[in-house]
Amino acid sequence: MKQQYLFEDKAEFLSKLQELKDKGISRKAVTILIPYPLHEVEDIWHPAPSPLRVFTLFGALAGLLTGFAFTIYTAKDWPLITGGKPIVSIPPFIIISFALTILFGALVSFAGFLILTKLPNIRAMMEPEEYGNQFAILINNEE
Amino acid sequence: MKRRDFLKLMGLASSSTVLSACGVDKKAEKLIPYLVPPEDDTIPGVPVYYNTTCTECPANCGISVKVREELPVKLEGLSGHPINDGSLCIRGQASLTRLYHPDRIRSPLRRNTQGQFKPISWSDAYDQMMQTLGQGGQHLYLAGRTTGTLSELIDGFCDERNIERLPEFESYSYAAIKEANRLLFNQSVIPHYRIEDADFMLTLGADILETFVSPVSHATQLARAKKLGQFLWYHAEPHVSLTGLQATERLVIQPGSETHLLRFLLRYLLEHVDYARRLPDAVARAIPNVSGEEVSAQTGIPSEELNQLARQFAEAEKPLLIAGGISTGHTSGLEVAALAGLIQWMMRMTDIVVDFSRAENDANVGTMLDMGELSQRLQEGNVGVLFISRANPMPNVPASYGFKENLRKARLRVGLSDFLDDTMQACDIVLPLSHTLESWGDTQSRKGLRTVIQPALEPIFDTRTEGDILLQLMQRRTGNTGVQTFREYLFTRWREKYGEDSIESLLHKGYFEDSPSGEFVRLSGTAAAELLTTASDPVDFGKPLLIAIPSLRTFDGRSRVLPLLSEIPDPLTTISYGDWVSVSEQDLRSNQWQDLDEIELTIPGGSIRLPVKTQPGLPGGISTIHWDMLKPLMLQVDPRTGESICYMDGVQMVSRGVSVPIPYLSGSSSQEGRGIIPDMERGDEDHDRGGPGMYPEHEHTDYRWAMVIDLESCIGCSACVAACYIENNVAVVGPEEHLKGREMSWIRMEPYYEEDGSAEFLPMMCQHCYNAPCEPVCPVYATYHNPEGLNAQVYNRCVGTRYCANNCPYKVRRFNWFKHERPGPSDEIQMANPDVSIRGKGIMEKCTFCIQRIRAARDTAKDESRKIQDGEVVPACAQSCPTQAITFGNIEDKRSRVYQLAHSFRAYRVFEHLGMEPGVYYLGKSEARSQKSEVDRGHQEDSN
Amino acid sequence: MKSEKVVERTEINYKEQLERDVLAAMAKPNRWYWVALGFSATCFLIGLISWGYQIKIGMGTAGLNNPVGWGVYITDFVFWVGIAHSGTLISAVLFLFRAKFRSSFNRTAEAMTVIAVMTAGLFPLIHLGRVWFFYWLFPYPNQRLLWVNFRSPLIWDVFAVSTYLTVSAVFFYVGMIPDLAIVRRLTTGIRKKIYGILSLGWQGSLSEWMHYNRLYLFLAAFATPLVISVHSVVSWDFAMSVIPGWHTTIFAPYFVAGAIFSGTAMVVTLVIPMRKIFSLEKYITLDHFESLAKLLLLTSLIVTYSYIVELGIAFYSGNVFETAIFKYRMMGDYKILYWIMISCNSLIPLLVFFRKVRRSLPSLLIISLLANVGMWFERFILIVTSLAKDFDPYAWGLYKPSIIEAGITLGSFGMFFTFFLIFTKVLPVLSMTELKEEHE
Repeated sequence: MKQQYLFEDKAEFLSKLQELKDKGISRKAVTILIPYPLHEVEDIWHPAPSPLRVFTLFGALAGLLTGFAFTIYTAKDWPLITGGKPIVSIPPFIIISFALTILFGALVSFAGFLILTKLPNIRAMMEPEEYGNQFAILINNEE
Repeated sequence: MKRRDFLKLMGLASSSTVLSACGVDKKAEKLIPYLVPPEDDTIPGVPVYYNTTCTECPANCGISVKVREELPVKLEGLSGHPINDGSLCIRGQASLTRLYHPDRIRSPLRRNTQGQFKPISWSDAYDQMMQTLGQGGQHLYLAGRTTGTLSELIDGFCDERNIERLPEFESYSYAAIKEANRLLFNQSVIPHYRIEDADFMLTLGADILETFVSPVSHATQLARAKKLGQFLWYHAEPHVSLTGLQATERLVIQPGSETHLLRFLLRYLLEHVDYARRLPDAVARAIPNVSGEEVSAQTGIPSEELNQLARQFAEAEKPLLIAGGISTGHTSGLEVAALAGLIQWMMRMTDIVVDFSRAENDANVGTMLDMGELSQRLQEGNVGVLFISRANPMPNVPASYGFKENLRKARLRVGLSDFLDDTMQACDIVLPLSHTLESWGDTQSRKGLRTVIQPALEPIFDTRTEGDILLQLMQRRTGNTGVQTFREYLFTRWREKYGEDSIESLLHKGYFEDSPSGEFVRLSGTAAAELLTTASDPVDFGKPLLIAIPSLRTFDGRSRVLPLLSEIPDPLTTISYGDWVSVSEQDLRSNQWQDLDEIELTIPGGSIRLPVKTQPGLPGGISTIHWDMLKPLMLQVDPRTGESICYMDGVQMVSRGVSVPIPYLSGSSSQEGRGIIPDMERGDEDHDRGGPGMYPEHEHTDYRWAMVIDLESCIGCSACVAACYIENNVAVVGPEEHLKGREMSWIRMEPYYEEDGSAEFLPMMCQHCYNAPCEPVCPVYATYHNPEGLNAQVYNRCVGTRYCANNCPYKVRRFNWFKHERPGPSDEIQMANPDVSIRGKGIMEKCTFCIQRIRAARDTAKDESRKIQDGEVVPACAQSCPTQAITFGNIEDKRSRVYQLAHSFRAYRVFEHLGMEPGVYYLGKSEARSQKSEVDRGHQEDSN
Repeated sequence: MKSEKVVERTEINYKEQLERDVLAAMAKPNRWYWVALGFSATCFLIGLISWGYQIKIGMGTAGLNNPVGWGVYITDFVFWVGIAHSGTLISAVLFLFRAKFRSSFNRTAEAMTVIAVMTAGLFPLIHLGRVWFFYWLFPYPNQRLLWVNFRSPLIWDVFAVSTYLTVSAVFFYVGMIPDLAIVRRLTTGIRKKIYGILSLGWQGSLSEWMHYNRLYLFLAAFATPLVISVHSVVSWDFAMSVIPGWHTTIFAPYFVAGAIFSGTAMVVTLVIPMRKIFSLEKYITLDHFESLAKLLLLTSLIVTYSYIVELGIAFYSGNVFETAIFKYRMMGDYKILYWIMISCNSLIPLLVFFRKVRRSLPSLLIISLLANVGMWFERFILIVTSLAKDFDPYAWGLYKPSIIEAGITLGSFGMFFTFFLIFTKVLPVLSMTELKEEHE
């Protein structure tokens, strides 16, 4: 059974959603499409929290480690004295590591976002289902 | 492949790099001949040295020419030479660029009917000369100062062709001194001044360290005298000169009042020195009695200083007095020279320190009066051929003589020169002379000293030596086909004089010196007494007064053609390119001028438009100008001696309301209270030497190169700068770039003036800091601290961020803003030291402590399985320094000279508080000052 | 199929009106747009030609010399990096602080950031003596396995600026994805295809929004310290040196404040005409501008404070070099520029204290334009005077920019405005999604 509910009004949409939730409809069967983020939906629907932060943490840590490992390795690979400073000069290396932490963190987060949302969505790119500024609830109860 | 074969191939490859480094594709073709070893044993990469003589000025210093792949790359003073002992001046260094100058005359020229010069063949030139020589009229031969075998040959030539040899032309003829010496001692020469044997010296106006007679000789001797211990030097002059600034005590004297001072000294010394009584009574009686107060008023020297000078003169064991330069360049110049001569004799200087047995061999040198006579004869119209060789009288002879106009009246004017200067422009035939480095010859600048001129390369252009030209002309007349060369002529003469066996050693050593004759001059008492009684009154110049002074860089203008000498700034004003008048701060203020304002300078006779530049220390009302910046219209001559007059009073200076952009390189004439040269009297000695560093020390196992520069010895002569330019292929960039502040010098001479007009000179180059601020800022490691303690610059790695230069507190790094033009004689022949790469556009360069020389020394040491010894590495600047102010060595070695000097109490480093620990130490001037203050104290006790 | 019926007309009006208005801005350009674009592109071309000439002839075509090795190019670099700062500040920091007025500006500000960083990033290359070896600055080993020197502030710059460009671009793009989907819906033909691809097939499902919100939060959280760090690193180009007037610890906060000041001024400069031209008065209101004006005033006061501290410390230290350089700035060869800087950055912005001034668009536009001028001169004064008269009095020298430097600077403005004009036509200039959300 396929069902489609479209709402212009947010309140109606939310009450329908509450109704569906109260009916105990399978989460998997319901697709909710909204034109902009609504906190109320989360309050009603309680979707699982996004695991994106794992990616972020991983990326940032990887950047930090890469930063230190890379700078220390290259400095020791061909040790050259400049300005009488030690070969492994930690303060400047912190700056590099900091930049890499952010760079890796941001990029890995973005990659994680693409993975989690399964974007880019080729089908949706070519033939998108457009609901305009309406709130949509699609129910797909095939099984 | 065996190791040796590999090395051979590598050698071949590196020589090809050297050749291709000259930047021209054609060079690659030259690679092939080296597969077959050249016949003359040239080994690629191995320098050959020839000992010869510098002829850039009449002093004739000995030089050693470094030749690489058949081209001279560097001139260095000949070690042990009686004149310059290993040192060379700024002009001598730059004379190498004369050889490679693209504007040299490349073949004989003849003026056509349109008045343009066209190249002709040598035989055409000879034919034309022969033809005119065969016709009537009196033929004349005018040459610059000529000594040695060439002089004999000219005599022979003139005799044979019935040519009259004229007195030689030198714009600095020292006519007044020679005339005084002729009157007093019957010797018309300049004696040799033995500064090193003196313990007290008074110089009157003579610029002994710049152009006067033999400046390098004076400078080396001065350094030795100072090192021997107590040496007091007074210098009296009306203006400010580089020489004067070096004196222990510089006295500012009223222009033209030297006679008063000398009379006072003569009287004082006669009364206070026992042996001075040797003066004949007749002379002693003729000495006017003058009081100290009177003389003080006349000369402008405070009477305490005057008395101190006289007392120290009298107390000195071996005093020396030199009067010359501008002190004899006025109408009572003869009196100044004669009184000085009298004191020299009276104080027994003529026995030791004023050496007539080693006098300058300049008896043939005439005066300006002779030029007047020549002009007269030319005007009479009876002159056939006029030869003018190695002389450029046109800009230096007073216009009133009409020399320029009368010159046209000679039937044929034949010029012998290397450049088309003003005089050559007026000739009909111009014969190109080979450079000294392409010639055979010898000189005898001093009595008893013969120096060898031998070629270091084949002539680059179709040029001949003067000797060969004369021999050709002689043989053409006799029809002798077995042409004798000047070389053969020279060797014959040498054989006659020194014997067959000694020729080899003569060529090897480069000079031959007789043992001194031991004869002393005798005073002609009657002449002296007569001079004293008939002496004319000292001149009293009105102000404003313009004084013409010799130029350290261009001599009398003859070295002006060498661009390097314009690239290196005048050490006093730091002006590099262009002409100017130096004025006092007072005049600048009172006339409301700015530096570089153009003024119209009018004197009776002519006017000239030049920018003004402040010269700190110059007394108000006095301006100075270099001789070569004057016009002939403004020149005058003392009719008694023929000496050129240096003083022009009645000067009018009117601002033209415009500014002339000429570059001066100094950002400030003062230290701005920054303690760059610490002053004991100001308490700078206790300056902040910086705390302990934040970082662990880095170790240098074998070598850590360092330099010590003795500011007490440094005379600011800039010879080091010229040496560095040539040794390191530093680009000459020209006035436009200088105006933008883009000079490329690796070492520069920084003058710092004090309020009282005294100045100190500081040579500044890369300080090779132990904690160099330039290094960590380079993103690509193009500069780093190498294991031998050098601040290395890797040209190939440099991307040109210029951060290193910004972060250098000494601002000694130089950026290549363009691909610099290096004009040379041809594509094939370029002046370049093949050991130093030529830097391309967009990269940073700087002083390397002559790393190529360190490398060469290390290779030698390695071959001999030892470490580099102290003194084995001598950078170009240190090598050239006439006063040996620069010491270089390994500061890790506690026995090295550089270690000991760097740890002496005078040692300090510039901007030490920044904690960068520079590798260049300076020895402050405190010793001299403390000495002086002791003297002052002693004097006060005396008077109490 | 069921569909619930419409209730409130105004609600629909706002959302649709918003979409219509934003899309209208992206519609076929009028004549004035072409004139502006042509002018900007010409300036850009002049810059490119000047740069080409400089590469061919050498760095000497600039007015630089010894001692002044850095001049207009590094001034431009710092200036454009500074401009770039406000974009991320308004976007990310204000997002984290939940500042409502952000939504009206953030798209423009982010676009400005990305374009300004691109412009700024060129200047380190332009000022290289051998720009053809610019890639040596990137961390890779050369044929002898020599890496770059991580101790050099210039390498920090490479990392900071490229990170900043990347993260800003990602942030800009991510923030735009839902809006790109709206544009996709409202366009046809080839444009629909292109926006379809650009929007990655965004559908607006709840799970997409869940991850999206997280990502946006994290990116904002990353971008905020990045804003601070990048301009600190830029300031360390100077502060890490030994040169008097550069070697000071106040530089990092001083530069960050200055960057935000100049960036905010640039946002005002850009948005006032844009709002007028594209008739977006409804979405970008006077209240929004007032908030920006307050930010401008705050940063101006911080900058003024830094000036005072700098001077105070220099004179208090008694250090002859520091004292001399600050005297020189105020009274030396470049004193006119110094006083222009003080007027534009410290004095004139004080007018914002008056409510009338900060609620008047013409006066705000003038103040922000002057702030941009003042900030450019600030960097020029700072870079040039310190180099012109540092330690060794003999080596002192003056610097006068050349026509080539003027051409390249003009070119950088040309590039910035060319790209910005293109941005206004191809991408939605307002964040429609956020404005809708905010409207709730």
